[in-house]
Amino acid sequence: MKIIIVDDEPLARSRLLAMITELDAGEVVGEADNGGDALRLVEQVAPDIVLLDIRMPGMDGIEVARHLAATLRPPAVIFTTAYDSHALAAIESNAVDYLLKPIRKPRLQAALERATTLTRAQLAGLEAVAQESSTGRPRTRTHISATLHGNLQLLPLGEIRFFRAEHKYVTARYPEGQLIIEDTLSALETEFEERFVRVHRNALVAKAHVRGIERDTQGHQCVRLDGVDDRVEVSRRLAPVIRRLLKSSGGGGD
Amino acid sequence: MQDRVAKLSEDDLFLPDFCDMGTVFTVVVVGALLAFILVLSPVVSTTHWWRDLALNSLFIQWVALSSAGLLCSGRRWLSTLGNARAGIAAYGLILLVSLLCSEAAYWLVARPVMDVEHFIAQAGNSDLVPRSVPMGTMWHLEFLAKNLSITAIVAAVALRYFYVQYQWRSQVQSEAKARIQALQSRIRPHFLFNSMNTIASLTRTSPELAEQVTEDLADLFRASLGDASVPVTLEREIEVCRQYLRIEEQRLGARVSTEFEVDDLPADAVLPGLTLQPLAENAIYHGIEPAEHGGFVAISGGSDDRGIVVRITNSLPDTDARSARQSNKMAQENVEQRLRAFFGVNASLQVFGDATEYTVELRFPYLKDAS
Repeated sequence: MKIIIVDDEPLARSRLLAMITELDAGEVVGEADNGGDALRLVEQVAPDIVLLDIRMPGMDGIEVARHLAATLRPPAVIFTTAYDSHALAAIESNAVDYLLKPIRKPRLQAALERATTLTRAQLAGLEAVAQESSTGRPRTRTHISATLHGNLQLLPLGEIRFFRAEHKYVTARYPEGQLIIEDTLSALETEFEERFVRVHRNALVAKAHVRGIERDTQGHQCVRLDGVDDRVEVSRRLAPVIRRLLKSSGGGGD
Repeated sequence: MQDRVAKLSEDDLFLPDFCDMGTVFTVVVVGALLAFILVLSPVVSTTHWWRDLALNSLFIQWVALSSAGLLCSGRRWLSTLGNARAGIAAYGLILLVSLLCSEAAYWLVARPVMDVEHFIAQAGNSDLVPRSVPMGTMWHLEFLAKNLSITAIVAAVALRYFYVQYQWRSQVQSEAKARIQALQSRIRPHFLFNSMNTIASLTRTSPELAEQVTEDLADLFRASLGDASVPVTLEREIEVCRQYLRIEEQRLGARVSTEFEVDDLPADAVLPGLTLQPLAENAIYHGIEPAEHGGFVAISGGSDDRGIVVRITNSLPDTDARSARQSNKMAQENVEQRLRAFFGVNASLQVFGDATEYTVELRFPYLKDAS
């Protein structure tokens, strides 16, 4: 059984490693100290089980689990945490396995023996937790993930210039290209309302990257964004929103 | 203000401090109002309105200020009696003062005035019946009885008011104290369990480090469970910060680096306990934990002729990670409140920084440990 350990604290990782070795419960094939590395590691080594710390800088454990579920062969997930009353309540209510630090050896053994992949229902439950954090503010993903040719692609939210609904799918555009994702535009709008604004029935643009409004050759109003050449059409009704945004950020006008 | 706070905690008497200028002023104002009421209240209006007001005021201020003076100088004695007996004693004292003042007023003012009036009446028109009635013993007794009754009622109302206010004040105080204690003993549970995990892990690999972390953790908890009202030395408080940051360095590994530039700080200066450690904990919680690539926490300080300055600076994670942890300013506000309660207006907590750094600066006077 291939196991990877994900925790931002080196001593927490070394303790888990030692215990797994003693239990002879499997082979630890890798360690990661943050969510992004963890996802890349999963791609590389295709583990059976991921021991996943909930509280990590950047992408937290809950978000890692959500991205993992999108992979071709999702591994089983066992959460570990020292104390997280809020997240724990949700994890418990969705019957997802977790271990409390300092972890006891028999508990670890039992968890490893019955580790299974997250079900759709459990995942949906976790997503609901992800929406609210202990601070009362909505907790949003830090990355958008998609599988491309069977590989997991991770796109940091800050890179994305706009989301556009085209035909049957939604694309996320970033300077180096675009990614087809599975989320719907309205779900994205709700989750990222602080950073993205709707400019058209079929598009959301990143507020931080808006540079101006201009007219295209057909006379439509379009948003110009930094880093990409594409223009995003703005509906007449929503154009004032962008103008206000430009004014308040002090950016260039038309 | 500070003095009053100190006095309140010094004795537990329900009476306000009558040596305080503010209280004396209130007594004078209330006395003047009472004089107005007494002059305005008769149904048949008197022709000597101003004279009556002046005489009433004079008399009431005699009684009120003498009582206040006695309560001020006798406070130490009263506070040994306990609230119930002190209340009775104060009541008796005020009645006695009123009696003495009434006697004095009768013999020094009323009697001579009436004698003069009597003389004028006799000299002007000897046929008229002299106004001898007010001069009689009956009038004297009635005068004393009236004054004593008024004093008895007013003093009872005032003492009752002081007692109710005292109850309210002590309730507010005990609530505030409970809140401070609750905040103070609130070392983040996440930190406790993570430290336990660190110790569990170190026990295998390096027992000596495990020992040190256990010792540091024990000291930290001793400090946080200690009496909130006992001040500590700056040296001790910085040591608590060092212990706390040592534990975090074990836990977070290479992600955190700490710097101390505290040689210029006077070791014997006093400050309320656990004022710096919560700020160091905040620095780790908001500055280091959310940062993938880690950062630094620096504690520096010095003193000048205006007092002591301590700065706690931490690096900030990049903006993406920052939004995930909204700061609640509770720890910071708590520290500021406790500094102000201890040092008064001379203490301040200021925050400044830019996109990469965050600094909390404390300023407070240099008070040496008295003990």
